[in-house]
Amino acid sequence: MSSVTRIAGCTAMAINVGYFVRESVQSFRRNWVMSLGAVITIYLSLLIVGASVGSSMVVGQVVRSVEEKVSIRIFLKDGAAPADVDALNKALVGDARVKDVKYTSKEEALEELKKTTLADSPEIVDQLEVNPLPASLDVNLKKPQDVNAVVETIKANPGFLKVADRPDNPEKSLKYGQQIVNQLFAFTSALRVIGAVFIIMLAVISLIFINNTIRLAIYARRKEIGIMRLVGASNWFIRTPFLLEGMLQSLLGAFLALLTLGSVQWFLMPKLKETISFLPVSLSAGASVQISLILILSGVIIGLAGSAVALRRYLKV
Amino acid sequence: MISMRNVSKTYGADKPALYDVNVEIEQGEFVFLVGHSGSGKSTFIRLLQRELLPSEGSIVVAGQDLTRMKNWKVPFLRRNIGCVFQDFKLLPNKTTYENVAFALEVIGRSKHVIRTQVPEVLRLVGLEEKINSYPDELSGGEQQRVSIARAFVNRPPLLLADEPTGNLDPATSLGIMSLFSRINKTGTTVLVATHDREMVDSMRKRVIALENGRVIRDQDRGVYGYGD
Repeated sequence: MSSVTRIAGCTAMAINVGYFVRESVQSFRRNWVMSLGAVITIYLSLLIVGASVGSSMVVGQVVRSVEEKVSIRIFLKDGAAPADVDALNKALVGDARVKDVKYTSKEEALEELKKTTLADSPEIVDQLEVNPLPASLDVNLKKPQDVNAVVETIKANPGFLKVADRPDNPEKSLKYGQQIVNQLFAFTSALRVIGAVFIIMLAVISLIFINNTIRLAIYARRKEIGIMRLVGASNWFIRTPFLLEGMLQSLLGAFLALLTLGSVQWFLMPKLKETISFLPVSLSAGASVQISLILILSGVIIGLAGSAVALRRYLKV
Repeated sequence: MISMRNVSKTYGADKPALYDVNVEIEQGEFVFLVGHSGSGKSTFIRLLQRELLPSEGSIVVAGQDLTRMKNWKVPFLRRNIGCVFQDFKLLPNKTTYENVAFALEVIGRSKHVIRTQVPEVLRLVGLEEKINSYPDELSGGEQQRVSIARAFVNRPPLLLADEPTGNLDPATSLGIMSLFSRINKTGTTVLVATHDREMVDSMRKRVIALENGRVIRDQDRGVYGYGD
């Protein structure tokens, strides 16, 4: 008996896919004020979530690019034995935390000075009789946060003193923005935590809003649900159009949010880039796709979860 | 069709709404359930629909023990029970036809079945002329006929009615009752909860009388009773 009724229920489900689609589109049209309210709520919530995810991605990228500039420069004394320099170089390359090591000769250092700091008056360089700049090894790290540890390792390396620019004061032979590095990392990690907390808070708020809106929409139709239960419609049959409707609203809201974010990016990004040209402000195509996926997925999940939770109250047998 | 054994129902800590009720109703019977407001008539009906579970005792409807029934099976039970209420419970934004068709749609009946059964049942209740009217264009009696059509369109073996004539004038009530009688003649068991004295006395059917949640009388070809 039970399996027979269950099978009958299933075929009824299969036959009625058309009914579900028709019913959810129809109720979307009939209760369009309610639906509009839900769509606008979802739209605004997802817009804010998307904007914060997007801007935190931009900020994150800026932070990363600033962090990447953190490197260790080891100044070498004039006439250091190439074998000793090579030994130090090998030791550094062998370190798991080191990404790469670049050797800059005295001439290259001077050339670089001419191109960068003294670009306006390169003749100053030509007037120099001797090259005052030391050669150097530039150490790039895989994780900028490791900078202090790597500096300690270099200082402990006996080969370092053999080639250091000023063996009497090894600290002066290393340049890695000692103080600034620590402050920068404290700032960037705080920025990341604040961004994450902000986004989580927004997500919770929009979930509550959407659940409430859908609950109102269901409340407006409680009579219909009551009659469906009265004549023996199965719970899934009653639930499905509401779930579809909730999903439809969420998708629409997500789509509108994406459209808005896209046009904001289109119009605003070039201006932002112009204003703060010293920082690499940009949003890669990959990041945009990621944001779109996040918005659509969270929209669908929020719509389904919100409807399901809101429906539970009205479907007690 | 219906078998209630030692059924009691208590809401919260109050005195029981129903107390130690024992009732057997055979298939094809026509039964009036009478009593004052608050005597337990509505609780009786809602227990049979499994809107409520009894606090004690067992209820068997159409061979199924309601106290042991799994929740997901309840909709299938309700497909076998037609229900009619005092307030009609029609959907205001659907026509007569759509209101009746709705009951078949939501239990997954095919379009073909809907197109043949709905006009047929509307003819039975005498509303074939009002097929495209909305509920607010119908009189109270007509609205109740729509709701009876909806309850009966699936040909359930059991029809429950809770004060079906409570909002209707005596002449209209008579029409509704003769409709129930016609439905009963097709073999459907009909249980009508009412406090309409004239109706009960004129129909001379089985009467179960409730008072303060107890069955005080169960009489074939009975009358409303109560000296008041």
